[in-house]
Amino acid sequence: MNRENSIESRIEAIREQIKEYGDVNIRKFELGQTAVKAAIMYCDGLTDREQIDFHVLKALMSYSFDQRPISKELIQNTLLSTSEIIEVETQEEMLSKVLTGFTALMVDGINEITLIHALAGKSRSIEEPISEALVRGPRAGFNENISDNIALLRKQGENKDLCLLKLQVGERAKKDLYIAYMKGIANPALVEEVHRRVAKIRIDNALESGYIEQLIEDNYLSPFPQIQNTERPDRVTAALMEGKVAILLDGTPFALIAPVTFSMLLQSPEDYYERWLAGTLLRIMRFFAAIMALFVPATYISFISFHPGLIPTKLVISIIATRVGVPFSSLLEALIMEIAIEILREAGLRLPKPIGPAMGIVGGLIIGEAAVQAGIVSPILVIVVALTSICSFSIPQYSAGISLRMLRFPAMFCAAAFGMYGVVLYALLLGAHISRLQSFGVPYASPAAPYRLGEWKDFLMRAPLRMMKRRPKLLYPQDSTRKR
Amino acid sequence: MSGTQQAKGGLPQEKLTTIQVAVIISNFMLGSGILSLPRVSAEKVGTPDAWISVLLGGLVAIVAGVIMALLSQAYPGQTFYEYSRKIVGSWLGHLLGPVMILYFAATAAFQVRSLFEVSGFILLEGTPQWAITSVFLWVGLYLMLGGLGAIARLFELILPLTIFIYLLVTLMGFTIFDLDNLRPLLGQGIWPVLKGVQTTSLAFTGFEVIILLTAYMKNPNKNIKAVTAGIAIPLVIYIVTVFMVIGALSVDGTLTKNWPTLDMARSFELSGLIFERFEFLLLIIWIMQIFSSFTTAFYFSALGISQLYKRKMKTCLYGLLPFVYIFVAVPRKLDDVFTLGDWIGKVALYLFGVIPIVLLIVTKWRSSKHANQT
Amino acid sequence: MRIRHKAKRSLLIAICALALPLQTGCWSKDEIEDQSIYVGMGLDPASETKLEKTFRKEGDDYRKRKLLTYTLQIINVQSESQHGGGQAPVSEKPYFNISETGDSMFQLIREFSARMERPVIGHHLKVIVINEKLSRKYSMNELLDFFLRDNEIRPSCLVLISKGSARGTMVAKDNSIIPSFRLTGLVDNRYRSLKILEPMTLSKLEGKIYGKQSYLLQNVISAEGEVKFSGGAVIKGKTQKLQGLLTEEETIGCVWLTGKGQGGLVKSYHEDNHQPIVYEVKSMKSKIDAKVAGDEISFHVSIKSKGRLTEEWLNNNEPIDPAFKKQAEAGSQKEVRRLTNLALKKLQKQYGTDVLGFGKQLSIQHPRKWEKIKDRWEEMFPEIPITVSIDMEITEYGAKITR
Repeated sequence: MNRENSIESRIEAIREQIKEYGDVNIRKFELGQTAVKAAIMYCDGLTDREQIDFHVLKALMSYSFDQRPISKELIQNTLLSTSEIIEVETQEEMLSKVLTGFTALMVDGINEITLIHALAGKSRSIEEPISEALVRGPRAGFNENISDNIALLRKQGENKDLCLLKLQVGERAKKDLYIAYMKGIANPALVEEVHRRVAKIRIDNALESGYIEQLIEDNYLSPFPQIQNTERPDRVTAALMEGKVAILLDGTPFALIAPVTFSMLLQSPEDYYERWLAGTLLRIMRFFAAIMALFVPATYISFISFHPGLIPTKLVISIIATRVGVPFSSLLEALIMEIAIEILREAGLRLPKPIGPAMGIVGGLIIGEAAVQAGIVSPILVIVVALTSICSFSIPQYSAGISLRMLRFPAMFCAAAFGMYGVVLYALLLGAHISRLQSFGVPYASPAAPYRLGEWKDFLMRAPLRMMKRRPKLLYPQDSTRKR
Repeated sequence: MSGTQQAKGGLPQEKLTTIQVAVIISNFMLGSGILSLPRVSAEKVGTPDAWISVLLGGLVAIVAGVIMALLSQAYPGQTFYEYSRKIVGSWLGHLLGPVMILYFAATAAFQVRSLFEVSGFILLEGTPQWAITSVFLWVGLYLMLGGLGAIARLFELILPLTIFIYLLVTLMGFTIFDLDNLRPLLGQGIWPVLKGVQTTSLAFTGFEVIILLTAYMKNPNKNIKAVTAGIAIPLVIYIVTVFMVIGALSVDGTLTKNWPTLDMARSFELSGLIFERFEFLLLIIWIMQIFSSFTTAFYFSALGISQLYKRKMKTCLYGLLPFVYIFVAVPRKLDDVFTLGDWIGKVALYLFGVIPIVLLIVTKWRSSKHANQT
Repeated sequence: MRIRHKAKRSLLIAICALALPLQTGCWSKDEIEDQSIYVGMGLDPASETKLEKTFRKEGDDYRKRKLLTYTLQIINVQSESQHGGGQAPVSEKPYFNISETGDSMFQLIREFSARMERPVIGHHLKVIVINEKLSRKYSMNELLDFFLRDNEIRPSCLVLISKGSARGTMVAKDNSIIPSFRLTGLVDNRYRSLKILEPMTLSKLEGKIYGKQSYLLQNVISAEGEVKFSGGAVIKGKTQKLQGLLTEEETIGCVWLTGKGQGGLVKSYHEDNHQPIVYEVKSMKSKIDAKVAGDEISFHVSIKSKGRLTEEWLNNNEPIDPAFKKQAEAGSQKEVRRLTNLALKKLQKQYGTDVLGFGKQLSIQHPRKWEKIKDRWEEMFPEIPITVSIDMEITEYGAKITR
């Protein structure tokens, strides 16, 4: 491209290039009071038309250029009243920018192309997060717009320690990604490690933060989530204040928090917002529910099929009475019902919101009742299955809930093969796995193992805030005092 | 922070905290013995004072443990396998190392075998031995491949659970407890009690791992503390066990049972609860304890092979597995199992009762000679 | 990284591969509804039932000595499931009894596998009732050996003696009662009656059998599908056979001497007008003191009790004065003394067995002396002087105004 080329010929060349980009528009015009040709190029829908009309077209078309010579500086510094402009020289660069929403301005006689940042502000409004609803707590959740999300984080309080490292991921479709941490709290080695793993990602396109999560986690064979995801800015801030690192990706409301331990997956922000006794009780209840969700069906199978002697006598009599006539073994019986419940749950998720829950309840009730009536399963099992699924729903982290639900099936098979012995061995296997697992160098089972007695204040119980004066040491924070 | 360092082909290496070492020692000790200890001690003592004998046995164990801890402190960063040759020369050292490897392998096999005997009798009548044991061995191997750090962490999860459930179950035995069964106190003097000390102190074998664990401690100078705490926990549990079981079943009732602790838990029912039968809680934690004893013994046996014959740890772990499996199947009947247990105890008595003292004296003597020369 | 993952994958595959054949195994698996649970067992001297005789004629015979007949009480699941369904009148009994005659207990139990489609399991055995005549003939370790060895039967199982046929205690008139549960339920009423002895479970019994100690078992009588705990049965230490029975009054005397009653009453008659005065026991304690003077051994039992005056037929609405209280207390003490004397006389003079733990107390209080005489203890026991002091105090008078 050379200076002699008139704008007409440049536009022709561009038109040739954008033949396959139907949404790119070009508008030609003349600078005010002169016959100098100019053109803007923008992507339909990505650009805020009003802003362009007012700040670019109107400004350029109504200014009298006869007083001063037309120059790049004049246009950029005086006439374009937008906050961000970039300058590029080649058409390729221009085109890629235009496709992300910039508006390109070309003026006859000026070689450089000015790119004006005027994006259409069409992000979803800030709504209550659906996946992590709370009774008490802020109602704000992240949306798909990264700048909104960052703004939400910044708005959590005036804090110049909040650092945001900007990176780009994606080979073909580049996306902005921010690594957030608190300077002076987060251990630099941890930040460095997160940065290293994120920088190593090689993928065409990261659609959702789940891609990032799966590419940087420690053990991809593990059934447990090793990175936490959340839609809640308050949760992210709380994590950052403990010295953890958060990853925000453009285009998704889910932020990632690393490292994570098993006990963190059973915690909810509400534990801290409610008073400490309520928080403690809720937490203990959740741990209990998690254990029940894992082992109740397996225990049922092992008792029914292997150890009739371990059930209280009166109960054994009524169980036998209900099971007489059930043609299936307890394993098959339990599998039928558990799988039916899982399918119901999945179907309820997919259905439109108003009928989803109704269908879950109706389906559960009707299938359970009918199965008992038909003599396919025993009523005790229906109780067991209902109990299990209720327990698994009480886990605040959706992804943790999934892994627990998934893990109860092998438990059932172990129970069917070895009874109680199999269940204990399965528990040991899970325990061994959790003991081996680490998330960014933090043992997954901590603070239960290795013992960190100081952190048990925030493990099974949630101690009064006055007593929680120190940050969790398992992340080796630089500044361990929460409050002086 | 960048995760644990991993040597090529080796297992993750982590330094252990003092608490972790104490936990490993406790978990290793609490094993098959817990179900039979009341009978074994009552057999030797013959009076209801068996629990005093257990107390004395524990004190003897603590003394022996402290001697071993002192010995290991003299050779920082080295396990017994490595430094024993330095003390007694390579010839004797070549003898001592393999004996120890065999001892740990036999202990591992013994634990698995008693697991099979009990669960085959109570839980899984009719399930073949290979099925019960092989599953157990594989789960153990999976843990051991995570290295000492993972072992320590799992034990830390198991121990509080064990203590809680165990004390819960034994203390529920108060419903059938009769203090008269434990009286008279020292009715026949102190002599029968002393007679039992040798047997009861063998119930505490397990503390000997301190001579290997010190090398992996963050703070090796605290190993005396670790071994004392590690023995103290089983000591309390054992005393409570013997006290409650004899109190509930009487000496005569205890003597007739293979596993009196289990029978005590079977002897009462608390109705109105979800469970009225508590032996299954006891069995659950017992299986977990056997698991921890087995993995410890197995790991240290493999460690010995790895260090003495310069093989990769992973190879040793996989390689030892079939041998231990065969070892498990060797005893034909229950009595053979108990005999094997006695034999292991006898070996332990010499290996860990006598030899460490000699080695400690040699070490001290050498270092003083060294000091004199310079 | 790669090496590690490869190893992990291979381990995972190994575990999966191992898990698959295990699913086909399930060696010990036995679904609960395919089994029958027996909750009670009665042991009687051999007497074949009609059914058995017919079976024998048809060719059911194998080598056995006809030593005893025993009755298994099995839960009738069909009736229970009706019950659970809530269909009102229960037409069937919730249990059924079956009997076999022979010698080996285990063989007899396994014999049922040839008779019923659901094999019986013993995890829930609650009560064993032994016929008096049988226990005079065979020792407890012979009769109970199987139960103590078996891995299904729990040591918490209760052992009773029946004066009549043990089978009779396993029958109920009403369709809603399971006789075995009725027997174990009666034991829970110890806080209301002194006629019920401390329950003797298999686990307690085992120590006594092994230690050759004497002990008391609860005696139960039955008639027309009803049962009653009545008196006790004395088992002699050396032989472990039944020595004799105690009447209800003697049993109450034993309870007073051991102080192990939980509640009950003492009825005495007023000296002057012979109207009843009833003392309700709120607490009782007894302490056995062994005294050794040279070769002379003697015991002193001091019984202390506190209670409530619950019924009296003579003092119509008049306030109770201290003198009446004294009188009532003295009357009750006299009654208790009568009962304890009866018990001691029977135990020492007639049976010569120490079932109340005098020997145990001697061994606790004078272990050295006990070591010397423990082999001769049962012979010495009838001649040992035993004194009893009784102290009963009325501390309450119920809801009625005292003054």
